[in-house]
Amino acid sequence: MDLWNWLEYGAWGLSALFGLHMAIDWLKTDSTYSEDVLTSSREGELEAMAEERKGH
Amino acid sequence: MADVDITSQTMDGMGPHGTKVGLLRVLGPAHVWALGVGIVLVGEYMGWNFAVGKGGAYAALIACWFAGILYSCVAMIDSEVTSTVASAGGQYTQAKHIIGPLMAFNVGLYLVFAYTMLEAANAITAGYLFYVVAQMTGHAGDLDQRPFIILVIMFLAWLNYRGVLATLTFNLVITAIAFIAIIVLFLSTSGILGGGIMEHAALFEGHELPYGWIGVLAAMHFGLWYYLGIEGTTQAAEEVRSPARALPFGTLAGIMTLLIAATLTWYVCSGVLPWEFLGDGVNGSVAPLFDTARLSGSTALVWLLGFGTLFATLASANGCINDASRAWFAMGRDKYLPGWFGAVHPKYRTPYRAIVFLVPIALIFALGAPLDQVITFSILSGLLGYTFMPLNIILFRRKWPLETIKRGYEHPFHPIPAITLLTLCAVTFFAVFLGYGTQLVAMIGFYIVVSLWFHFWRYRFVNRGAQFTMPWPKPRGY
Amino acid sequence: MAHYQPPKQGKASQLIDVVVLVILTVGALFVPLWLGMAGAAKTVAAPVTEATWEALGQNAAQAAKYEALGYTPESAHDLILARFDYSFSVTALLTMIAVILLYYFLILRFSEVEYREVISEKFGE
Repeated sequence: MDLWNWLEYGAWGLSALFGLHMAIDWLKTDSTYSEDVLTSSREGELEAMAEERKGH
Repeated sequence: MADVDITSQTMDGMGPHGTKVGLLRVLGPAHVWALGVGIVLVGEYMGWNFAVGKGGAYAALIACWFAGILYSCVAMIDSEVTSTVASAGGQYTQAKHIIGPLMAFNVGLYLVFAYTMLEAANAITAGYLFYVVAQMTGHAGDLDQRPFIILVIMFLAWLNYRGVLATLTFNLVITAIAFIAIIVLFLSTSGILGGGIMEHAALFEGHELPYGWIGVLAAMHFGLWYYLGIEGTTQAAEEVRSPARALPFGTLAGIMTLLIAATLTWYVCSGVLPWEFLGDGVNGSVAPLFDTARLSGSTALVWLLGFGTLFATLASANGCINDASRAWFAMGRDKYLPGWFGAVHPKYRTPYRAIVFLVPIALIFALGAPLDQVITFSILSGLLGYTFMPLNIILFRRKWPLETIKRGYEHPFHPIPAITLLTLCAVTFFAVFLGYGTQLVAMIGFYIVVSLWFHFWRYRFVNRGAQFTMPWPKPRGY
Repeated sequence: MAHYQPPKQGKASQLIDVVVLVILTVGALFVPLWLGMAGAAKTVAAPVTEATWEALGQNAAQAAKYEALGYTPESAHDLILARFDYSFSVTALLTMIAVILLYYFLILRFSEVEYREVISEKFGE
C-alpha cells in the first residue's frame, strides 16, 4: 500500500460523496416544491419584460 | 413596470418563492470568455496533434489556420444571431426561431452530444494523467484510472449543480493558468528568454508533406480540435447580466485567444518533437505540450505544463457539463424532450435535473469507449452544427433584414463568411470521410432515425405558437 | 386558426421517450465498434529489417530527439514507418454525399412544414 492506493480509495469515496449529495438534495428539492414551481422557467423572459417596459 | 431592472441580479422578476423560478443572471464577459476558451483550450494540450499524424507538421499548420478561418466565421455568425436570440439553449433556440422545430431538435442533440463526448474525452485524459504521474513518482503496479475518471465527472457535476457563478469563476482561474502556461513555454523555449531549443528546419527536413496535399485535406479533421467548443459561449445567454454586449465580446475575445494559443502550440511542439512521434496521439505524444516541456530539460516547465494539462481538461469538462445541461434543459422546457427536464433548482438556480441526468451518460462513454472514437463522435456532432450555421444566418438575414430587428452585433461582409464556412465544412466532411467514413454514415443514420421519431411522435407534445418567444415582427415571406 | 393544444404527457411515457433516445445514442456509437468497422488504423507498408536511424529516414537532429525521448531505432520502428491509407472508392464517397444531402433535405423540409404552422399560430392569419 503506497500513497497512490490510498488516493484510489479517496477518489472512490469522494465520488460517492458528491454523487450522494446531489442525489439527496435532488430528492429533497423534488419533494419540497411542487412540479409547477420547479418547471416554471420560460424562455424569453427577459425579452418579454423589456417589451412590456417599452409599452408603459 | 418602470422599476423593473432587467439586469438585476437578485430580482429578475422570478423570486425564488414566487411563482417562477428561472436561471440566475450573474455572469460578466470574463465568464463568457472563460466558458468558451475553457472548453477549447484542452485541444491545444491534447488531440490537435492527430492532425500532424494525418499529414505532417506543415499540414497541421495549414489545417490550424483554415480551421481558424472556419471558427472565425462561426464566432462572427454566432455573435450576431445570439446577440439577438439570447437564451439558454444557444444555437438550439436560434434554429427554433429561424429555421424550424425539427432543425432545432437536431441542433440541440448536436450540442448535447458534442459536449458530452468532449466531457468524456476530458475525463479519460485526466485519468490518464493521474496514471502517468503515478508512474513518474514510482508507484508500483498499474494505477486504476476509473476512480479518477469518475471523480472528475462527479466533482464537476456537483460544482455545476451548486451554481453557475462559482462554476465559471473556477473555470476562469484554471483557464487563465493553462493559457499562461502555453505563453511561458513559448517564451522560454523559443529563444526570446534564454536559450532557444527550436529546430524546425532540421526536424522538417525530408518530411515536409509526407502524404502530399491529400494529407493537408485529411488534417482538417483534427484541425477542428484546436477550436472545437468556442460556440458554446451562447449557452450562457440566460445567465449573463447583459447578453447583447457580453456574448459577442466574450466570444470574439475567445476566438482571438485561441488563434494565438493554437499557433504558439504548433510552433513550440513542431520545433521540438519529430512529426511521427508528435502525430501519434495514442502510442506517441498523448500530451504534446507536456512532452515539449519534458525535452526542454527544465523541471519547473514540466510541472507547469503538467498542471496546465490537468487544468485544461478540468476546465473543458466543466464547461461541457454547463453547456450540455443548458441545451438539454432548454429542450425539456419546450417539451422537445420530456418536460421533466425543464426544471430549475429553486435555491441554486441551475437546471439540476439535466445536470444529474447527463452524469451517467458521460460515464458510459468515458468508461466504455476508446478515446479516438469519442473524439470523432464529438467532432462530427460539432461539424453538423457548423454546417447548420451558414443556413441559419442566411435565413436570418432574409427573414429579418438588418432594419427589422436591432442586433447587438452585426457581422461584416455578409454573405462571404457564410459561404466560406459552408465550403470549409464540405472540405472537413471529406477529411472525416478519409479516416472515419463508417462513423460518419452511422452518425447521420442516427440523426435521420431520431428526426423521424421527433417529427412523427415527439412533436405532438410541443406547443406550436408559444415556442416562438422572441418579440420579433413576423418573418418576411410568411 | 385554432390553437393546437398538445396532450399532457404522463410520467411513464416520458420515461419511455428518454430510454428510446439513450438506446439510439449508445447504439450509434457502439454499433460501428462492434461490427469492427470503426477507425482508421495505420499500417507499416515496408518494414525495415536492419533498423538504424538512417534506414528509418531520420537525420541527426531527428534521431537525437528520438533518443532524448527514450527510443531506440528498433522501438521507434513502427511509430516512424506506420502510415494511413487514404485510398477510397468513388462509390463510397458518392454514398456519403447522398446520405448527407438526404439528411439535410429531410430536416429542412420537415422543419419548414412545422415552422409555417408555428408562424401562423403566433402571428395569426
